[in-house]
Amino acid sequence: MVNTATTGEKIFYFLNNILLMVLAFVCVYPMLQILATSFSSSRAIVSGEVFLWPVDFNYDAYRALVRDGQIFRAFWNTVVVTGVGVTMNMIATIMAAYPLSKSRLRGRNVFIWFVLFTMLFNGGIIPTYIVVRTLGLIDSYWSIWFLGLVSTFNLFVMKTFFQGLPQSLEDSAMIDGANDIVILMKIVLPLSVPVIATLILFYAVGHWNSYMNVLIYIPSPGRQTLMVVLRRMINTVQEQMLIGQSDGTEGLGFLQQALTPEAIRAAAIVVATIPIMTIYPFLQRYFVKGALIGSVKG
Amino acid sequence: MDVQQPNQISDHLSIERSKRMGGNLRRDIYRDRYLYMLLLPILAFYILFRYIPMYGLIIAFKDFRFVDGILGSQWVGLQHFERMFRSEQFFRIVWNTFILNVYQLVFQFPVPIALAILLNEMRKKYLKRTVQSLLYVPHFISWVVLGGILIAILSPSTGIINIILQRVFGIEPIFFMADRFWWVVVFIASGIWKTAGWGTILYLAAITNIDPQLYEAAIIDGANKWRQIWHITIPGISGTIGILLILNVGGFLEISFEHIFMLQNQRVMRVADVIPTFVYRAGLQGAQFSYTTGVGFFQSFVGLFLIWTVNRIIKKTGGMGLF
Repeated sequence: MVNTATTGEKIFYFLNNILLMVLAFVCVYPMLQILATSFSSSRAIVSGEVFLWPVDFNYDAYRALVRDGQIFRAFWNTVVVTGVGVTMNMIATIMAAYPLSKSRLRGRNVFIWFVLFTMLFNGGIIPTYIVVRTLGLIDSYWSIWFLGLVSTFNLFVMKTFFQGLPQSLEDSAMIDGANDIVILMKIVLPLSVPVIATLILFYAVGHWNSYMNVLIYIPSPGRQTLMVVLRRMINTVQEQMLIGQSDGTEGLGFLQQALTPEAIRAAAIVVATIPIMTIYPFLQRYFVKGALIGSVKG
Repeated sequence: MDVQQPNQISDHLSIERSKRMGGNLRRDIYRDRYLYMLLLPILAFYILFRYIPMYGLIIAFKDFRFVDGILGSQWVGLQHFERMFRSEQFFRIVWNTFILNVYQLVFQFPVPIALAILLNEMRKKYLKRTVQSLLYVPHFISWVVLGGILIAILSPSTGIINIILQRVFGIEPIFFMADRFWWVVVFIASGIWKTAGWGTILYLAAITNIDPQLYEAAIIDGANKWRQIWHITIPGISGTIGILLILNVGGFLEISFEHIFMLQNQRVMRVADVIPTFVYRAGLQGAQFSYTTGVGFFQSFVGLFLIWTVNRIIKKTGGMGLF
């Protein structure tokens, strides 16, 4: 790189830095604003005083959420769906990616196209719903776990990673008489921690943020997950505000007159987003690499 | 089927191995029996949850009832498609889907490219890393949360955007979510906000693969920053741009259900109702299974056709295609 920058270049670098810092701020600002709103008083929210920092700090909105309880029930449901779901995802993805990473496997190209084609064409919402309903999986988490068992994109990320591992280790283990499953467990997987971490993050975020599948396949409100319940609360709050706050006892029972629905909505959004935002900084050095592996043509 | 692909790295090994083993199909399958054991359950998953629904598309030509099942339902020929092409609503949702996709392609697709080029020009490493981490955050925010945030910050009474417009510029509150023009703007802008940062990853990787000597030569020739970007960086990442363009156009009509569903409301349905939301509403909630399967089939088919066409065009013009 050049060390001696001209005046023009210095101005360019300076403006470029400023622009990107502004854009980075734009990316996180909405979350910070919601966080500030959730801790502010109703008076401050309604009069538009809240900007980035809570005004009249209090956590009444969170107390109202705890009293109501439905968001925490949904939180637990989401933990279950995500926990079991990611475990199944990882086992299935490894089971498919390892054989497909071996170029000696007979029929490999046919299998790869078989899997790849589902990325180009699919049956769509209704036929998939009919299959799930025919199997009797409606209102069961198995519908969610089975339907999303393998993400073809993630499968190719993992396959590409396996292909990049040195073949010599596996060859020497094979000469020692180890079979493919032993090699996979004892040699390949311990070398694959970065890609495993990345895919756990991708799958977990997918389950945590999932809305449509739960909406379609889990009709019982008590079994629904965070995003569906959060969406319902956002809608109710919206109706509440259209009716006007004069009669706060109508509609949502837990909305207190002293508390604006905006604060509760903000608090619910914070509760639903906190887990991902907490693990994000720890995993981010892995996932950029993971996203890159996927870009290499399989 | 031939397993030997000349361009695979570990290939000479496997060729030698299969020669040693005599290249016998049955013996090869026996040798790899554990690999097939791992693979088979996953292929079963693909058949059951991906290929059977594809086969289920035949109900678009039937009158589907749950008691009869996919196979037992009565054939009705092209009846549903005739109804579709006579329906004014069908053309409206196809048009909405089409035009929103065009807007996304024009306004959203170039943003990560520009952003990646600017990021690449950052000289302070720690600043660049921090900015990148913050730019990736929206990718991890769900559409539901994004919808909730938008409704909150765009609210005509208490939303921060309208408050700023009012206090700083003296503009009357804008009903962003209820106005047909502003709704489209919000839809596109929120899409950019969520996807642009994450989208830079692939372009940044492509930029790092460009030979630094090209830039050095350009500097000696007196090329300024702008000319370096225009003549070296952009041609250097054109392959990546091409592949992502194919994937984007292929996803055409397959507009993100959750994105649009979160922002939809009664007052903007004329511009906001698209194929997937129509299929959900009329199909699942209205139980018109066969008719909406036909509508969905139309969408998948056009998507497949577009991906094939764009791939051909890019290959014809000398670019690297997807397949």
